[in-house]
Amino acid sequence: MDTLVQVLVNGVGKGAVFALLATGFVIIYKATETINFAHGSLVLVAGYVAYEVKSDHGWLLGVVAGVLAAMLFAFLVERVLLANARHAHADSLAILTIGIDVVVVTEISRRLGTAAAPFLGDPYDTKPIHILGASVARTYVVALLVALVLLGAFFLAFRYTSWGLAMRAQSENSEAAALMGIRSWRVTASAWAVGGGLAGIAVIFLATNDIGGGSGLLASHTLAFAAFPAAIIGGLTSPGGAVAGGLIVGLTDALASQYVSLEFAKVAVYLVMLAVLVVRPSGLFGRVEQLRV
Amino acid sequence: MSDTSPPAPATDAVLEPEPSEPVGAVQVRPARSRRTTAVKVVLAAVAAVVVFLAPAYIDAEYLTVANWVMVGAVGGMGLTMLVGQAGQLSLAHSFFALVGGVSYAVLAGPRDEASYTGLGLPSLLAAVLAVLCAGLVGAAFAPISGRLRGIYLGVASLSLVFVGFWLARELPSLAGSTSSGRYAPSLNLFGFDFGELHPELHVLNVPMGKVERSFWLYAALTALAYVLGRGALSGRVGRGWRALRDNEAVATVMGVSVVRQKALAFAVSSAYAGLAGVMVVWWYDGLMKPDESVDFGTYSTTAAISYLAICVIGGLGSLGGAVLGSVVVFGLPQIIQLVTSSDDYSGTGFTPGVITNFVFGSLIVLIILFEPRGLAGLGARLRAVLRR
Amino acid sequence: MSRNLTSCAVAFAAVAALGLSACSTKAADDSTGGGSGSGGSGSAGVKTDIGVTASEITLAALTDTSGVFKVLGLGITQGNQMWADDVNKTGGICGRKIKITTHDTGYSAEKAVPLYSKLKADNLGMIQLIGSPTLAALKKPLTDDKIAAIPASWASTNLDVPNVVMIGPTYDIESINGLSRLQSQGKIKDGDTIGHIYVDSEYGKNGALGTKYYASKHKMKVVEATVTSTESDLTAAVTKLKAGGVKAFLLTTTPAQTASAVGVATAQGLNVPIHGSGPTFTPQLLDTPVAAALMSGRYTTDAPQLPVQSDNPKVKEISAAFKKAHPGQVETYGPILGYASGLVWGSILKQACSDGDLTRAGVLAAVRKTTVDTQGLTPPLDFTKPGQPSSRSMFLMVPAKVPGGLKLVQTEPYVSPDAQTYKTPFQK
Repeated sequence: MDTLVQVLVNGVGKGAVFALLATGFVIIYKATETINFAHGSLVLVAGYVAYEVKSDHGWLLGVVAGVLAAMLFAFLVERVLLANARHAHADSLAILTIGIDVVVVTEISRRLGTAAAPFLGDPYDTKPIHILGASVARTYVVALLVALVLLGAFFLAFRYTSWGLAMRAQSENSEAAALMGIRSWRVTASAWAVGGGLAGIAVIFLATNDIGGGSGLLASHTLAFAAFPAAIIGGLTSPGGAVAGGLIVGLTDALASQYVSLEFAKVAVYLVMLAVLVVRPSGLFGRVEQLRV
Repeated sequence: MSDTSPPAPATDAVLEPEPSEPVGAVQVRPARSRRTTAVKVVLAAVAAVVVFLAPAYIDAEYLTVANWVMVGAVGGMGLTMLVGQAGQLSLAHSFFALVGGVSYAVLAGPRDEASYTGLGLPSLLAAVLAVLCAGLVGAAFAPISGRLRGIYLGVASLSLVFVGFWLARELPSLAGSTSSGRYAPSLNLFGFDFGELHPELHVLNVPMGKVERSFWLYAALTALAYVLGRGALSGRVGRGWRALRDNEAVATVMGVSVVRQKALAFAVSSAYAGLAGVMVVWWYDGLMKPDESVDFGTYSTTAAISYLAICVIGGLGSLGGAVLGSVVVFGLPQIIQLVTSSDDYSGTGFTPGVITNFVFGSLIVLIILFEPRGLAGLGARLRAVLRR
Repeated sequence: MSRNLTSCAVAFAAVAALGLSACSTKAADDSTGGGSGSGGSGSAGVKTDIGVTASEITLAALTDTSGVFKVLGLGITQGNQMWADDVNKTGGICGRKIKITTHDTGYSAEKAVPLYSKLKADNLGMIQLIGSPTLAALKKPLTDDKIAAIPASWASTNLDVPNVVMIGPTYDIESINGLSRLQSQGKIKDGDTIGHIYVDSEYGKNGALGTKYYASKHKMKVVEATVTSTESDLTAAVTKLKAGGVKAFLLTTTPAQTASAVGVATAQGLNVPIHGSGPTFTPQLLDTPVAAALMSGRYTTDAPQLPVQSDNPKVKEISAAFKKAHPGQVETYGPILGYASGLVWGSILKQACSDGDLTRAGVLAAVRKTTVDTQGLTPPLDFTKPGQPSSRSMFLMVPAKVPGGLKLVQTEPYVSPDAQTYKTPFQK
């Protein structure tokens, strides 16, 4: 029983971090129809800057600088590269982000040099919390709470601010939105910045020993790949779906690795995704595309 | 070498919607095609001579790279037909390569090995059957591929890479152990073995070793893959796929069976990937070894994305482009690694590996930024300039 | 069209001209270097073929200076080079200077294959070969080309050919020694349940082989948990061990996984002794949140070579040279291992030289006649027994805040009776 509780809490905590990643991934997809293979790079940029700033200016400033750096980096990727490749096919844009990813990963691991496993550390103590007889690492609980607050704020903004309105309008119909006076570049660039910011928050938890495991920062790049199935399960056009998808991925991963095997856990995530897609080809909450003849 | 022949208009214009053929074109064609046939025959002959002599001049390490490029080219041609012509996004290409490689190892592997299953079939038959196996597995994906579109299909197919990774570890008697793999024989074509040095053979006084022999084999397979692909694309099959790509609903109305066309496209594409998988096994001197992690390695997600990168960089839907794309994606990292060196042991130095990744990554970005239609588009532009 | 035909004709003529001239540089290369065995004779009348001239012996380091094993790769390469410099200062071997060429694979087998194809043309052998995917891909070519190589991996399943020159105990022996040390200290006893978390690869499987042997001899029950090499969160594996009630466990994992396993075990209150094989530790782990747990004495590890913090004069010399050349870089055991690899090659070359045969085949024959005194850097090494590791002893160590991050538990190398009687897979 206590093992199950522990697995569930860990799964939900990890899922909350995946939800942050997947939500950013979906916002970027909605605004620019780009599958962002460089999402792991956004995570890495934030983590690297935080790691460098932290040593002189402390954890909090480090994390703030890291998140801002990821937002700026994502913003620049959109403005400098994607905005200038408007005529490219959507698949080409996805491959372009792979190019970015290769360069970023190489440069950051080069800069890290022989510091093989840097960790961001955390400001709270590492004593486990006891819930229903199970001992759970604090990181999972903090991750869950932070994700709840952040995603809550995001959804309020998405629904009630003019930015959110512009965002939704553009993803409905970008031509009509332009005619109505919504400046498209602001929407797309801010979408990337928000995606970068959410990835930047995620790395605080990914680069810990509890969730990311021992490779620290560099493992977070690999872990960010989980945003893929999470976003697809939820439905690529639905930020709410991304949250659900993140939780499903986190829970599936935790349960399968505990009760079947570690190797099977990664497959299990994708099998669940396949099952969802067979029943609902556009994900759980995705908009069903209409065919026009 | 397969690029030396000028592409016919039908496949050259793959990125634009098919132009409706003017009625008059029918009368012009026969005369024109007789001439172009003559040119093609001559060009093919020249290409054959060049391929035959090349191993006498090129150093072994660059032949090794060339062989690897042709593995990517064959795989890339299969994927570019699926993605560029039939409009079906797939991230499962490395999985089908794994199916091809494992099938070959099982079919051609010796019968008497204790830890590995082998049927001991002749290598040529085994290779053909392995390609068929990969094609059948691709067709078997139809119930899922038929229901999904776009990125959903792409990520759904990505799950096959994970399933393949897991199965290969669970079934070491088929796929070989994850640690040291298993060995399969090289191709023996009517007594001529491409992996052994018997019978001995010299060209221009240069002994033809394994790499040199493989170069001939790979060049022939690449040419075969190209010719078969051209045939499929310029005929009824290609028209069906393009109808599927341009608009599924319209295609249905026009009497194209969407499910059957998708299944066919996946089958053909996977068969190409299967051939690439067999070529991978030969390239590694007969070693079939599953990856140690799903993220990096020969049959990993990274490899799946690399195949897609070949198609995009080459120009979606272009067979010749796939060859050029493979030069960039499969060839360039190996070549840079060969020509650079560094004595920097600081850990933060610009080692050959770092330089390779920088050049590779930025080149991808630049190509897409400045030539969204890929290298095939660049080729078309060059031709247009030359014709002027 | 006529233009097309003309250009074809030109191309044809060009090809024909090339063919007729038959002046391929490759042909020239191959006839001088092409391993007939009877090639040139050196100044001392020694038979040579590839990679040896009258004044120079060339060895290759196929390393990783940009991928996941770059910390180890850089260190070993530095040690290799230090050895070559020392040898060359004293006049070289067999009247020849040593030259080392380095090649960076980035831990990728597909990049290693063309690099190997390049280096085999002008290197006698390999002083370093990093990465089990690389070794797997190159083992057959190495055997075919009669090239000897020192791999930076220690699976006893690779000892079937003399080409693989392995320094010190293999992973299975490490497990057996590790467990019998725990038992001799009273931490575990016959009939106990023990755990083993290992990477499902050549590395981990070979380690598990030793555990199974030891457990069967001592009626122990083993709870196994396998992970893939890039899996970084070992929570599930540790939970499984805890549920199985293990009294101690072994790790045959990556350093990052060590951090996770030790951290999670501490968090879950699984406070049992842990023995990690050599590659489970790097000094960088002491900058992570699990440093305290690693230094609590619960975790022990081992290695075929001495740690950086040691009284051995040779180690002190290497360490000083390293600090001078690379100020500010974290010191690892890499340079010591790299230097020891050099000493092994040195002994093999001297043997081949005295046999009058510095060809590749001559070197392979010399391997089976070589025993090496590495000036205490490793236990004495014996390469004369086919299929067996060159040593069954290892240095026992615990993490500490010292250069290199490790200190010896005892100065003498440790070997257990079980490890001495264990039969490795290819032992004759």
